[in-house]
Amino acid sequence: MTLLLVVLIPFMGALLPPLVIRSGRNTCAVATGGVTLLALALLMSHAPAVFSGEVPKAGVDWVPAMGLSLSVFADGLGFFFAAMILVIGLLVIVYARFYLSREDPMGRFFAYLLLFQGSMVGVVLSDNVILLLVFWEMTSLTSFLLIGFWTKRADARQGARMALVITGGGGLALIAGLLLLAQAAGSYQLTEILSRGEMVRASPLYLPALLLVLAGAFTKSAQFPFHFWLPHAMAAPTPVSAYLHSATMVKAGVFLLARLWPVLAGTEAWFLIIAPAGLVTMLIGAAIALFRNDLKGLLAYSTVSHLGLMTMLLGLGTPMAAVAAVFHVINHATFKAALFMSAGIVDHEAGTRDIRRLGGLMVLMPVTGTLALLAAASMAGVPLFNGFLSKEMMLEEAAHTSYLGLDLLFPVLATVAAVFSVAYSARFAIGTFLGPVRGDYPHHPHDPPLGMWLPVAVLVVPVIAIGLFPGPVAGPLVALTAAAVIGGPLPDYHLALWHGITPALVMSLVAFAGAAALILAFRRADALRARLPRIDAKAMFEASTGMFVVGCRRSLVALHDGALARYMGVTVATLIAVGGYGFWSATHGAGTRPPLPVTATALTAFLALVLASGGVLAFHGERLTALILTGVVGVVVALAFLQFSAPDLALTQISVDVVTTILMLLALNLLPKATPREQSLAVRWRDGTVAGLAGLGVAGLAYAVMTRNGTSISEYYLTQSKPGGGGTNVVNVILVDFRGYDTFAEIIVLGIAALAIYALLDPALKGAAVRRIKAMLPRTESRDAHPLLLVVATRVLLPLSLVVGAYIFLRGHNEPGGGFIAGLVVAIALIMQYIASGYGWAAERMKVDAQSMIGAGVAIAGLTGIAAFAFGRPFLTSTFGYLHSPVVGTFELASAMAFDLGVFLTVVGVMLLSLAQLSRVAHRVDPSPESREPMDVQLERTVPRTAGGES
Amino acid sequence: MPMLIDALIAALILAGAFFLLVGALGLAKLPDMMRRLHGPTKATTLGIGALLIASMIYFSVARGTFSIHELLITLFLFLTAPVSAHMLAKAHILRATQEREQLPPTGQPSGWATLDDRRSDGM
Repeated sequence: MTLLLVVLIPFMGALLPPLVIRSGRNTCAVATGGVTLLALALLMSHAPAVFSGEVPKAGVDWVPAMGLSLSVFADGLGFFFAAMILVIGLLVIVYARFYLSREDPMGRFFAYLLLFQGSMVGVVLSDNVILLLVFWEMTSLTSFLLIGFWTKRADARQGARMALVITGGGGLALIAGLLLLAQAAGSYQLTEILSRGEMVRASPLYLPALLLVLAGAFTKSAQFPFHFWLPHAMAAPTPVSAYLHSATMVKAGVFLLARLWPVLAGTEAWFLIIAPAGLVTMLIGAAIALFRNDLKGLLAYSTVSHLGLMTMLLGLGTPMAAVAAVFHVINHATFKAALFMSAGIVDHEAGTRDIRRLGGLMVLMPVTGTLALLAAASMAGVPLFNGFLSKEMMLEEAAHTSYLGLDLLFPVLATVAAVFSVAYSARFAIGTFLGPVRGDYPHHPHDPPLGMWLPVAVLVVPVIAIGLFPGPVAGPLVALTAAAVIGGPLPDYHLALWHGITPALVMSLVAFAGAAALILAFRRADALRARLPRIDAKAMFEASTGMFVVGCRRSLVALHDGALARYMGVTVATLIAVGGYGFWSATHGAGTRPPLPVTATALTAFLALVLASGGVLAFHGERLTALILTGVVGVVVALAFLQFSAPDLALTQISVDVVTTILMLLALNLLPKATPREQSLAVRWRDGTVAGLAGLGVAGLAYAVMTRNGTSISEYYLTQSKPGGGGTNVVNVILVDFRGYDTFAEIIVLGIAALAIYALLDPALKGAAVRRIKAMLPRTESRDAHPLLLVVATRVLLPLSLVVGAYIFLRGHNEPGGGFIAGLVVAIALIMQYIASGYGWAAERMKVDAQSMIGAGVAIAGLTGIAAFAFGRPFLTSTFGYLHSPVVGTFELASAMAFDLGVFLTVVGVMLLSLAQLSRVAHRVDPSPESREPMDVQLERTVPRTAGGES
Repeated sequence: MPMLIDALIAALILAGAFFLLVGALGLAKLPDMMRRLHGPTKATTLGIGALLIASMIYFSVARGTFSIHELLITLFLFLTAPVSAHMLAKAHILRATQEREQLPPTGQPSGWATLDDRRSDGM
């Protein structure tokens, strides 16, 4: 289980930095480092097992029905990557502590960094492809947050967006790819899939799966033609560049290729697609890097080039090349992270990253200079450094590769790339640290504090150690990792400095000679490059995303034009079409159940319903009349509920109707009294036809259902209500117990709706809207807006209504009532105070604000649900007991009651919030003085006559 | 059930029905708004009150326990009916501008609350 914790600890630890940042930046960095160290220690506790050939696993089921489990495993590859991520993460944290300035929000930065770390460790340790995808997307998201960390900078925002679009888009392709792969292999567990390579390669899904997986891997690892996002991601703070964009995240694509190597590699398609893609990326990246003047830009393109190198090696598909790729992953991570950090130090201390303004820093900052030169030598592939060894292996492999019969293609292009690679390394080293000291640096460069160069030094140690003694230092790790990649016996190889005169050595020598010539002729080469047409990937990207945005907006506006009538028309017409198709393509007829006899009461109610509906149609232009007629419908429906023994529903219907009418009246106050004239007769006929057909359809449906004795679930509810939910009021038991989940979601929706009302009405509080409403309303205001009689009556009624509310709430589980109805009753009572005594008066006395009430309601309901976990039961399992009280009688004390309390609070809050916002709008339109006294007009006796009344 | 109680209940129901009818007729027949208001507020309230008392007596006797529902309904009704009548009248005073001249003097230094123009404030 500790293996699972390795993944989870960074996520949990991400809460820590924002909390402890108040105790200072050092504490914050120590806490972050501690989290990483803990994860690393747990990982290392598995090291003996991994090195002895075991594969530790851990996990729990998550959604087993979907094939999703929270399972991790650490074979050599995963273990190596996880260790690399955590070790370099630790160094980056130390470095970032000194890199970030006082103004930067360090807590947030470290929180993002830990989130990224967790996601990345998740990617490399996942044993489940869906879990891997989840973590994969999370690395894209956290990378977005980290690139855009300096949110005020436009280039940071653009770079972050670009990275998210490219890697996120690739992630989408990867989802499809891995699902196809899982389909082909018949399992979602990676360990299973890895053992079924033959089966996958024989499957017809192999090629689409491969292409989609490659789309994900290539975008993530910045392979041509998706390489352009990486240089723009350099707008991130340098610790991020060093961590994400050289050492870890961009290697996720390479990791994925290595991970799936046993399954996907070894086919024609694999070699023909991946190897040239890697080769081209390696070449283009190296060529562009040479001409970059920005240190980080140079390193970014160099990273692109090296990623291409690894991709190409994996693409070759031979075990030997896979070993070389793994070895280069180790080497690149060390020297490139060191170089990025050095570039950050230079930027920090000299104030610029422009090579043309730098030079001679070796004298001014000897420590940094020495470390950077060592790392750069490794990047160039100078012997005695680790970069040399893996590059030799790469050249050796390239020398033996023949692509579609072209024997020279790979060796020649690889050598050219090596030429550029040596040249840009030299340019980096010479342009920054060597040469004469200048007098015009923006700052006065000097060596940074220990904390900043120490991580670099720690990274440079393996650069040299591996370079000198490759076998003893890196041998076991390479063997372990490569064995996991290949998934079979290791090829016969030797990590050694001297292999004799090999083709690779010759190619290396050619590269050094070519690079020397290139550096000497740099000005001429640069001039030549300036004359070549330039392709601005960023502009192209911006243009294409811009086109997408415009296209989406156009199609959206065409579909979504803001007219309710249109949406309703489309929805209802679709329903008619689908329903009509179902109706005409099946047999149907009246059911066999005899109808109930028509009583005079039922007939009267029916006629009232028909008249009211017809009335709404006739008077819909007059809004007030239409509203009153709609109320009739509500009352008749409530009566129908009563008739069919559903007092609970009747009570709910009545309360809802009252509340709705009140709120609508308040809203009508701010609207014109009549609706504008409708469109042409033809349009009205069309709308009428649609509405009529829909009505006929619904009537037919109701008739068909009501004349049949279908079996329904209600029988179960009726019998189980008492034994299962402990209440005899089936409706309430269904609401708070059987279907508590639904109710929980519904009150959340209700709360969101109230907040939406609040937000939507907010513009109506602003200048122009207020003036418009004011101009629209003819005002004949009563002088006493708060009449004495109404004020007194509502205040007398308030306690009575509250008692009724409490009564309805308490008895709700067994008799008609419950939290929802009680909430409505209490809301009505409170709303009446607002109406009678004025918003100002009532709001001043309302000590709890509506938003908190909604929040508390949802929280209480949720906590009640969670409380069931404490007893080992599923979410929202209820329990109950009985309580005897003298007044109310014996009533239930069920855990569902706490849930009902949540419902109650939410309903009250929602009503009050909607009302308050409407009142605020009304108040802005027509500010009337708030009443302090019980009524506005002074009573005769309260006015002292002598005080100046009758003069 | 004793005969006397039956008779009492019947009388109350009849009285209630009578007043409801009177209220409805008044609402339909009386000539103007202010007078029509009497029907549904006064007569009808009385009628419903009578019906409720009849119901209270019936269920109290029939079930042997005191029935409190009707009392509550009556209480709420008597609290709210005058208020709604009052509000309707105020709305009428405010909106029927041509009838304002017919309003009698309040007999107080201040005028009608709805329109209050503070005639007698001397300001």
